[in-house]
Amino acid sequence: MSDLFDMSAIIALVPVLLRVTTPILLAALGVHISQRAGVLNLGIEGMMLSAALAGVIVSAATGSAWIGLLGALFTGLALAGMLAFAVHTLKADLILAGIALNMLAASGTTLILFMLTGDKGMSGSLASQVLPSVTLPVIADILVLGTLLSGHHVLTYLALILVPVVAITMMRTPFGIRMRAVGENAEAAATAGINVIRMQVVALLISGLFAGAAGAFLSMGYVSWFSQNMSAGRGFVALAADLMGYGSAWGTMLASLLLGTAEAVVISLQGEGLPSELLQAVPYIVPVIALVIHAQRRKKAA
Amino acid sequence: MVIREALAPFILTVLLLIGILALVLVPIAMTQPDPWGMIDTFLLGPFRNPRHTGNIVEMATPAMLCGLAVALMFRTGMFNLGVEGAFFLGGLATVATALLVPLPALALVPVALLVGTLIGSSVCIVPGYLRSRYEVSELVSSLMLNFAALFIGLYVVNYVLRDPSAGAMVSYKIPLEARLPRLIAGTRIHLGTLFAVVACIAGSIYLFRTTWGFESRIVGANPGFATHLGLPIRRIMLRAQIIGGAIAAFAGGIEMLGLYQRFSWQSLPGNGWTGVVVAILARDHPLLLIPAALFLSYLQVGGDLVARNHDVPSEVVGLIQALILIFVTASAITRNPRLLAWVAGRRTENEA
Amino acid sequence: MAASTTGDLPFLRFEGISKRYSNGTQALSGVSFSIAAGDIHAICGENGAGKSTLMKILFGLEQPTAGTIHLDGEAVSIASPRVAASLGIAMVHQHFSLIPSLTVAENILLGQEPRRGLFIDRAEARRRVLALSARYNLDVDPDARVGALSVAAQQKIEILKALSRDGVRALILDEPTAVLTPPETDELFQQLRDLQRAGLTILFISHKLREVRALADHVTTLRLRQVSGDSPMAQISDTEIAALVMGASRPTPVLRGGRAFGDTSIDVRGLQLAASNGADRLTGVDFSIRAGEIVGIAGVDGSGQRGLVSVLSGARRPTGGDVSWNGSPATSLETVEWRRNGMAHLPADRFHQGGARSLSVTENALAGAHRLARFAYGPFLRKRAMQQRVGEIIEEFGVRCPGPGAPLSALSGGNAQKVIAAREFATRPSFLIADQPTRGIDIAAAAFIQSRILELAASGAAILLISADLDELLALSDRIAVIYGGRIVATLDNGPDVTPERLGPFMLGLESAAW
Repeated sequence: MSDLFDMSAIIALVPVLLRVTTPILLAALGVHISQRAGVLNLGIEGMMLSAALAGVIVSAATGSAWIGLLGALFTGLALAGMLAFAVHTLKADLILAGIALNMLAASGTTLILFMLTGDKGMSGSLASQVLPSVTLPVIADILVLGTLLSGHHVLTYLALILVPVVAITMMRTPFGIRMRAVGENAEAAATAGINVIRMQVVALLISGLFAGAAGAFLSMGYVSWFSQNMSAGRGFVALAADLMGYGSAWGTMLASLLLGTAEAVVISLQGEGLPSELLQAVPYIVPVIALVIHAQRRKKAA
Repeated sequence: MVIREALAPFILTVLLLIGILALVLVPIAMTQPDPWGMIDTFLLGPFRNPRHTGNIVEMATPAMLCGLAVALMFRTGMFNLGVEGAFFLGGLATVATALLVPLPALALVPVALLVGTLIGSSVCIVPGYLRSRYEVSELVSSLMLNFAALFIGLYVVNYVLRDPSAGAMVSYKIPLEARLPRLIAGTRIHLGTLFAVVACIAGSIYLFRTTWGFESRIVGANPGFATHLGLPIRRIMLRAQIIGGAIAAFAGGIEMLGLYQRFSWQSLPGNGWTGVVVAILARDHPLLLIPAALFLSYLQVGGDLVARNHDVPSEVVGLIQALILIFVTASAITRNPRLLAWVAGRRTENEA
Repeated sequence: MAASTTGDLPFLRFEGISKRYSNGTQALSGVSFSIAAGDIHAICGENGAGKSTLMKILFGLEQPTAGTIHLDGEAVSIASPRVAASLGIAMVHQHFSLIPSLTVAENILLGQEPRRGLFIDRAEARRRVLALSARYNLDVDPDARVGALSVAAQQKIEILKALSRDGVRALILDEPTAVLTPPETDELFQQLRDLQRAGLTILFISHKLREVRALADHVTTLRLRQVSGDSPMAQISDTEIAALVMGASRPTPVLRGGRAFGDTSIDVRGLQLAASNGADRLTGVDFSIRAGEIVGIAGVDGSGQRGLVSVLSGARRPTGGDVSWNGSPATSLETVEWRRNGMAHLPADRFHQGGARSLSVTENALAGAHRLARFAYGPFLRKRAMQQRVGEIIEEFGVRCPGPGAPLSALSGGNAQKVIAAREFATRPSFLIADQPTRGIDIAAAAFIQSRILELAASGAAILLISADLDELLALSDRIAVIYGGRIVATLDNGPDVTPERLGPFMLGLESAAW
């Protein structure tokens, strides 16, 4: 246990931390964007799961991990489109439609997996591809910095780059400003000539793209298979991360890192004799505690 | 005429359900070597064998109770989704009590169920308390706690209750005295079913004939009105989640004691989500939960039969359930004035 | 100040404007008057006189059912706010349409942001806002976050936002000083005069005659959906304006009989309520109600009635002052405690507070009373007793509904209000707050509710009556207190000499009598 607080152990923790945070961060950014437009995307869990399967199938069919990634992104997009259709055209309740989407994804992915492989649990028989990790040329050789900065997965780098991209888009582009206007005061935005519904649909679609990336990471990041329900509630954790994020992309990133830390610590403790099941519960309890602290802080500020 | 007008929404819902079934079953049947056989098995198979018909009833039991838990909470305006975790934890705690606590045979069932209900309901109560005290979204916290309950529960199963002589990660055998008696020979319908039906009736009485239920409905219908009357809104909301959590946990307990020989759930069983679909289909009305649950279970049994005989996985039913959930809440369809008029008009023609 | 007509053509002319809504309500009837270019033109009127509707028509939010608007002599059809903007007509809304987390510049230029590639050109945006600010002499900091600004500052930004479009010639303001403190009001007037100097024509609606006198060049009064007066300010006195707004004396039916009043029941001293919304603000309210007495609160909408009701119904805690009830302190009572002591409340907002539309008539009628021994046996509701009681209510109040089980949404406004009234009266309250009790309901239902209020008073209850309908107020009240700017500015014993004309100056802020 004392090894844990050894500097080298902490440094070794960073890659693990980034690895587990990536899907949460990607999904949380997606939730963040649609939240800014005033739409709670509860279906992010189902979108991730479906995208994970799609990535595996497409990459196996085409032999290319990158095309598989496209497949995953497209799936997230398509499901977000379905959610938007259900809510805006069919006038279904947003939360219930999100729940329905998750149910659809859970059943649908198992169904499709079975139809393709005859196996409900895992896609072992599919020769799906893996997206690469990236070694930064010169930096990798630097002693400590190398481990910290290089060798992470391409989607991890993407996620980290997307945080400032999303932040700047929200704060500095007309598109982002208008989206925030729609989320904060839809009437005022409409008076300014902004098409509220179109903005909300676009926000939802973008969050579907992010969910797609998160799903691709799950099934094509470090492993090359899809297993039943492999998203394991990470989409919901992303919801918590966004709630704690104080409405900014950077805040969402910090919250995702916090929640990822919980999971990373759990993983590193797993060899130490503590029962894995109890450890696995921790990443789901930490968000709740964090939400309470966050809520208390907001009350004090108000 | 007035009655026919009032029935129009119901008829529209039925037509919608038929439409959804067709939408899913027909394409899948097309991929089968024996399409009509598959559809026949799905739709009529459950009624051919008394044991399968019994399956409908026994599967409807947890669906009814989870639906009741959801309905009661939704009626108060609480979007607490902890039913899933409460069901799991309730079942686990019930089995754990039966296995670990030495009790005389007569007390085994009631005490196990009681403890199971108390412990399992925490998955709904904690989010409720956090909402009431700290304004934390009960939606997000209940989703988190479902998973927390799962893993804590798995720990208990795999380390404390595990039967090493059994092949898989299951608990010791539940003592015979703790199992709920069967009601109808030739089926697996157990006493729990009776509890479930009684609970739904009790739920209806609670919601529409007691002061507490009335106050819940006022808060859910218009919180501003509840404030105007001076009702203690936070207390009422918390109350609803306590009751909902207890019912869900109880459902898990009787499911275990009624149907299982060992605790064998290694993941969240999904009854909570079915409960949401049942509740929405029943429009949050406790008495309608019974036919709604029976309908969804009928689909589930049909799906299982088709899975067994026609090589189509039972997840098809999950698909249908998801579509039911979306379309039944799609007020553009269910409250569409033109559709309703068409349905009502058609009925009048048939009567004339 | 001056600058009347430039040439023969008035800038804007309303000719025979009428507005009738699809549900039959008449909002305007043949309104005709002109507005000269470069004038600051005030529109005055009581509640319901039609002022807001007229401005909405001018801004394109509504269409007239008859009549035309002429701009520079040519007839125009203002089909939407966009058209209004293209004609140079801008409006500052009463409820601000600003986005709190965005900066001043981002808010003003929302929808027409200057770009540099993919990004907003912040420097250009800043420049534009500062240019606007300089042009109209309205000081703003382009980079400040709107949410952190005061209400007065936000209003400035709303004004700048309205002026940010090209070719703005006229600015409409609806009760602009409602949310401002007196020093902020002075500042606004300064800004409006500057805008006038810059060539704008300004139209503003106000019921505060002192302000109209200080700011306007010309005034048009509306009364009962028609123009009752139109004159340059220099040629009309304040009392004349007040008379035109309130109307000549007319005999009011005396519904109340001579009554003996009991001891002081409700006593309010120096009540204060801080509120960001001026319509709620209380700056020192003093009045009292005796048992069996009906005290009517007269005032133009937005003078503090909302705040008063929210305090006396327990919804909000006052920031200063005292309330006592039958001698005991009641300043920080919660709603449930007020009700337990015998308070009942007919809310103005029937939709959000008066009842639940999806619940049945029975449930709405008996909510709140459902725990009484009469209707509950332990935890169980006595359904039969409830059905019986609802039957009595329906009969007694003449409620027309498909049945006691029908949802409240199926009832007309008048009948729904009867159900709400029945519920509130049933507790035999000793203190009733009747807030707009007959607004928007049919005459028969209104008369019925008024008679029940009188009965309640006769039985010894203290009644606070708030109504925008002066006739109702004068008919029912024993005493009338006029509220203006969050204070009671006059309290009069009701009598034949108390007429709308007499109340006008108080309601419009011209006078204030000692209590």
